[in-house]
Amino acid sequence: MGSAKVKKKRSGALHELKKNRVLYLMCVPGLFFLLLFSYIPLAGIWMAFTNYNVVDGIFGSPFVGLKNLHYFFFGTGMGPKSIYNTLFINFWGIILGLIFPISIAVFFNEIQGKMYKKFTQSMMFFPYFLSWVVVGTIVYGFFATDVGVVNRLLTALGVDKIRWYAEPKYWKTILICCNVWKWSGYNSIIYLGAMTGFDRSLFEAAEVDGATRFQLITHLTLPMLKPTAVVLTLMSIGRIFFGDFGMVYGIIGNNPVIGDSVAVIDTYVYSAMRSLGFSYSTAVGLFQSVMGLILVTLANWAAKKVNDGEGLF
Amino acid sequence: MKIKKNKGDIALQIFAYIFIGLIGLVCFYPLLMTLSVSFSAEKVIAIKGYSAIPQDFTLDTYVYIFGTSGKDILRSYGVTIFVTVAGTCAALLVTSMLAFAVSVADLKYRNTIAFICNFTIIFSAGLIPWYIMCVNYYHLKDNLAGLIVPSMFSVWNMFLLRTYFKAISQSLYEAARIDGANYFQIYVKIAMPLSKTPLLTVGLMYALQYWNDWWNTLMFITEKKLWPLQYFLYNILSNVNAISSGRVPSGAAANIALPSETVKMAVTILTIGPIIFAYPFIQKYFVDGVMTGAVKE
Repeated sequence: MGSAKVKKKRSGALHELKKNRVLYLMCVPGLFFLLLFSYIPLAGIWMAFTNYNVVDGIFGSPFVGLKNLHYFFFGTGMGPKSIYNTLFINFWGIILGLIFPISIAVFFNEIQGKMYKKFTQSMMFFPYFLSWVVVGTIVYGFFATDVGVVNRLLTALGVDKIRWYAEPKYWKTILICCNVWKWSGYNSIIYLGAMTGFDRSLFEAAEVDGATRFQLITHLTLPMLKPTAVVLTLMSIGRIFFGDFGMVYGIIGNNPVIGDSVAVIDTYVYSAMRSLGFSYSTAVGLFQSVMGLILVTLANWAAKKVNDGEGLF
Repeated sequence: MKIKKNKGDIALQIFAYIFIGLIGLVCFYPLLMTLSVSFSAEKVIAIKGYSAIPQDFTLDTYVYIFGTSGKDILRSYGVTIFVTVAGTCAALLVTSMLAFAVSVADLKYRNTIAFICNFTIIFSAGLIPWYIMCVNYYHLKDNLAGLIVPSMFSVWNMFLLRTYFKAISQSLYEAARIDGANYFQIYVKIAMPLSKTPLLTVGLMYALQYWNDWWNTLMFITEKKLWPLQYFLYNILSNVNAISSGRVPSGAAANIALPSETVKMAVTILTIGPIIFAYPFIQKYFVDGVMTGAVKE
């Protein structure tokens, strides 16, 4: 009976595939793309446990177990350092990524002039359209030693110039600022989108009761933005082990002095690929993916708790 | 009924105007600075530094760029435009077909397909296995396909488009089904024409992604004649950056010709030029896309 049931189920699947074959065929290009660029590479994870060489190939190279991962944690200072940098930059990115977009959205909502709104929103959204390389040249305009805006300002104030591009200690902060600069306008639009869905009658009732605009913000707007903020934050936490390769590489480039001090896991994987080989950097990437999987699952679970069963995915 | 405003409300409003104005300025100032430096005379910049007002307005820098490295820049422009147009069209076709299919309630395994897509966001093999597959097996090194194919499908954009497709009434499809149309015909004749704005939105998102991409170049392209604009700029910046650090291998320093300040900024302007011109017209589609993407169905 069991086999009969299976057979029936299979013919059901076949029937479905036949009935909707046009729709399934339309999925083929997209699914084929995912197969090539996401699923087949999964097999390459095996390299993380071997000592890969081109002659023996991915599956023929000698097995070394967890040696690569061990080296990542204990063999070189760069492993833990890149983890620390990634978490540090992302942590501040999350905090400032809450403060700025929410305050922009809240105050933007207070403005009545339509033209003013249109104009300022265009300006605030603009950085989103720039690539990190372009942001990199802008950063250069600010921090160049001789012609940069910041050093000119320091000179005008009577302070000594700083050779920014030779001083590693400032760059984590600069990168965090760039990140906030690029994404605040974009993220504020998400909060403004959430605001358009608010129930206006609540606000009108509160106004009739004599609430000030400030009280409306603290007692109505902010609490009502909380679910959106929670979802966005949980999504960022799910990706906290992933650094922004484009940001770090686009702004720092090949700079040999600052490079190591701002290396995030992603840029470390890239540079380790050349210096320490494919197997080692695959292992580093695997660590990142596994941490990502764990945190996204946790974040999704938390989102369901907070949002009455609605997860992130 | 108009409610009389108290002093606190007025103060709050003034603060809002100033705060938003300042943020807008901070976001926009760098563009003004870049523009004005590119139109300034090099020797004035060397003395006075960067500023948001052009100093000694001149077109010399642009004339110089097109005179000396004009061929390189125009070729890079060509690469970028080709990659953007071809990539956007291909990506839009692949994405919209899948998004349409999983938006049809009739499709029994649509959730399975959605999960297959979602899983790739949640877990990936990482850079190296992806890179080895692309280079050793798909042969994407040093050809234009390497700049187009790896970015041809974005799961996020697919789900965004699905949200739009889902808003189309399924009864329209059923009527067409009764008239004997298959789902591909429905996709071409009903779903696509009804979704012009969403398709434009997602198409622009892909176009921006292709225009701004330099990651694929960093991965796959070594031949200079295949460099897109972004990578052309990245290469300049990266050299400037290395030299500014004051610690460059002595052999390398001799080989790097540093462009002047104005040239750097002019190349930057050329890189973002089309975006600036299109910005007033395309901005609203992005705003719409961001808002729709954020609203969970």
